[in-house]
Amino acid sequence: MPEGTATLTRPADGRVNPLRAGVDVNRITDPCNIVFFGASGDLTKRMLLPAMYNLRLGDTLPNNYGIVGFSRTEWTDDEFRDEMKKSIDEFSRSGPAKDPMWSDFAKRLSYVAGDFDDVKCFENLKAHLENNDKTLGTGGNVLFYLSTPPSLFSPIIDLISRSGLGPEDNHTGWTRIIIEKPFGTDLDSARALQAEVEKVFDEKQVYRIDHYLGKEPVQDIMALRFANVIFEPLWNRRYIDHVQITAAETVGVELRGGYYDTAGALRDMIQNHVTNLLALVAMEPPVNPRADAIRDEKYKVLSALRPIDASRVMLDTARGQYDAGSIGGQPVPGYRTEPNVDPHSNTETFAAVKFLIDNWRWADVPFYLRSGKRLARKTSEIAIRFKQIPHRLFGELGDSIDNNVLVMKIQPEEGVSLRFSAKVPGPKMHIRSVSMDFNYGTGFGVVSAPAYERLIGDAMRGDATLFTRWDAVETAWQAVMPILERWETTTDESFPNYPAGSQGPPSAERLMAADGREWRKI
Amino acid sequence: MITDALHSKIETIKSELLTDTVAATTLNFLVVVDDDKQREWVNDRVTLIDGKHPARTIVLDTLATGDNAAIKNDRIEIATGGMTPEDVRSLVQGLMIPEIPSVLWWTGDEIAGQPLFDPLIDIVDALVIDSSGSRTDNRTVLEVADFAARRPTVAVRDLAWMRLRPWQDMIAHFFDDPNLMEELFAIRKLEIVSGSEAEALYLGGWLASRLGWMACAHDEFCDRDGEPIPFTHRREGAGRRVRSISVATGTSTYVAALTPSDEGVVSVAVTGTKARAERLVPLQSIDNASLIERAILEPPTDEVYETALHMVGKILA
Repeated sequence: MPEGTATLTRPADGRVNPLRAGVDVNRITDPCNIVFFGASGDLTKRMLLPAMYNLRLGDTLPNNYGIVGFSRTEWTDDEFRDEMKKSIDEFSRSGPAKDPMWSDFAKRLSYVAGDFDDVKCFENLKAHLENNDKTLGTGGNVLFYLSTPPSLFSPIIDLISRSGLGPEDNHTGWTRIIIEKPFGTDLDSARALQAEVEKVFDEKQVYRIDHYLGKEPVQDIMALRFANVIFEPLWNRRYIDHVQITAAETVGVELRGGYYDTAGALRDMIQNHVTNLLALVAMEPPVNPRADAIRDEKYKVLSALRPIDASRVMLDTARGQYDAGSIGGQPVPGYRTEPNVDPHSNTETFAAVKFLIDNWRWADVPFYLRSGKRLARKTSEIAIRFKQIPHRLFGELGDSIDNNVLVMKIQPEEGVSLRFSAKVPGPKMHIRSVSMDFNYGTGFGVVSAPAYERLIGDAMRGDATLFTRWDAVETAWQAVMPILERWETTTDESFPNYPAGSQGPPSAERLMAADGREWRKI
Repeated sequence: MITDALHSKIETIKSELLTDTVAATTLNFLVVVDDDKQREWVNDRVTLIDGKHPARTIVLDTLATGDNAAIKNDRIEIATGGMTPEDVRSLVQGLMIPEIPSVLWWTGDEIAGQPLFDPLIDIVDALVIDSSGSRTDNRTVLEVADFAARRPTVAVRDLAWMRLRPWQDMIAHFFDDPNLMEELFAIRKLEIVSGSEAEALYLGGWLASRLGWMACAHDEFCDRDGEPIPFTHRREGAGRRVRSISVATGTSTYVAALTPSDEGVVSVAVTGTKARAERLVPLQSIDNASLIERAILEPPTDEVYETALHMVGKILA
């Protein structure tokens, strides 16, 4: 069935429920089933089911919905419910599940055990969903969520199609699919996966999730740029010297050593999260706030990223790997001694890249991207550093007139900071830098919904704005491939090259120093 | 009267404000405290609000006397007991930042006859009040309705009204189904049980104003065809809380009521010819600080509220 649904508040004859004036509807209108592949996995337990429960507590789920877990574990419906209750009790932001809401929610939970390579199991799932349509009124709409290891994405999509669960065979409702990251491990594997996806799903039915984009401050970037008149005229090569995008973590690889050692910071953060931030900062104003208008602009700017020639990889990038050190006064181990990590690993836990954007707005303005683990502080921010004033009128000997800097703070602080110069009171014309800060705050009493709640709700509504379109994924892979290829074929003998709790490796400082610039302190 | 000592303190405050570090300021936030028992409660909420919305916050303590004025925790606190209302106004005006929105949070229950109220209302854009603050009868909401009729240019934000949003959504949701739209115009009876009168009156006024009803007798509306709609409202349970609302047509009854096992959950059901299965709706608990925050962020005009309040005035006239 084609995408697009009528809302319940406006009947076909055009009448509007008069009680709806000024009373917003946050509830998702379309009934639907949501199927979690990999239902016994960590992501479903820690994030996805708690997110669904909180959507229910927020009265956001539609009146008629079904939640179906699918995985290899041999659970009955009741065992699945028990497991999910434990997860909600432990991980939900709203605290332990309580009756009567839990019992009401649990009635909508069910489970299908099966192998991811057995078409019969998918046929069972189909029958199960058809039964839900009859008993729960889910209307033939189904949203699949792939929260399995990436190696299972293609087989699952294939069996969705072969078992008659695909959109082509759905004649009563819509079919959509959410695909967890990583979407491929390099350009070739991403294209291969996309080829499988395209066989079954239309692009409008595919929701590639990057939970980073569901964070409130990331959405604030567009508001800051396009809901104000004062920034946009300055938002170009004429006034901006360079842009720094930082995603720094204090945590190590924790329990993800096995995965991380095959991925690294470039794949895990730069290719998706950080590149998405770059796109939001650098894109042209979209013609409207709809998903495709925004995603068109993101694609355009990503496609203007100048490819980093193999000969320049060592000049325009820096990589690092953390050694033992101390964070918050606590000693922490080095990367190579983390569980499930190769003791001779060449995987980077820190990546820095200098990109140039070949378009009219950004020609010759470098975008410096960096991300790393076990750094001095957890912080994600975008810093726009403006050019020096063209002619210095003021300031006594010894005064420095700093460049203006606009910082969009994403986490843990959420806000905007503008640094500018002001006169120091007194008879002399001393100039000092001052900072004007605005914090969005995180609400009091009302906790803002975590990213997964926002994104799953959006997918159920059919709003793809915060999901990544294939053309942007492909372009981001194209941008990082020369770096990946070089890094994978050369061993960095300096590894480990930065102590945990530091600012990162010296090579990152050299990358900036070569351009006469320096990183903001983490 | 503003004494020399107080004047000197105010001038010192102004100097301190001028030399303060640069910070974004989003509004002038005037807060009047006229109840000793509420002082700490009010101060805690003000701290939350101005922590998130950097404001020129001025707390006027009408119970405190003496020449006290000081900046505490980034807010200006002034003891206004013993000062004339006009002196208070002129003093406050001198401390406000021009060209940004100004909001008065009147924390007391009474506005009629309060000497400080009119002078302060003259210098703000919006009034925040709670018609079911510590009262459970209809006196404050009546005063608010009178005030709104008298001063239509001042935006009124009543926390008692703002608490009703989930209930309004539940009632509206009954009739979102296009097949049930006609039922809206066949309502014959309205019953509301709440802990304070303001909530029941607001819900009744809202339904009446949205559906084109008239107040045609004491506790009775008439629909557009002149058919009577008895309005029963009963006080029961804790203040500021709606317990149930029941809307009956000729053939069906639409009921939303707190569940006995958890008063944070509402059971919503329809009986009669349009019967529908029970649905559970969790009530989002919204604390007062969040409500005040919403109040200061609301757009200046709210036609739905204004017409509902107007109808409340008619019901109580």
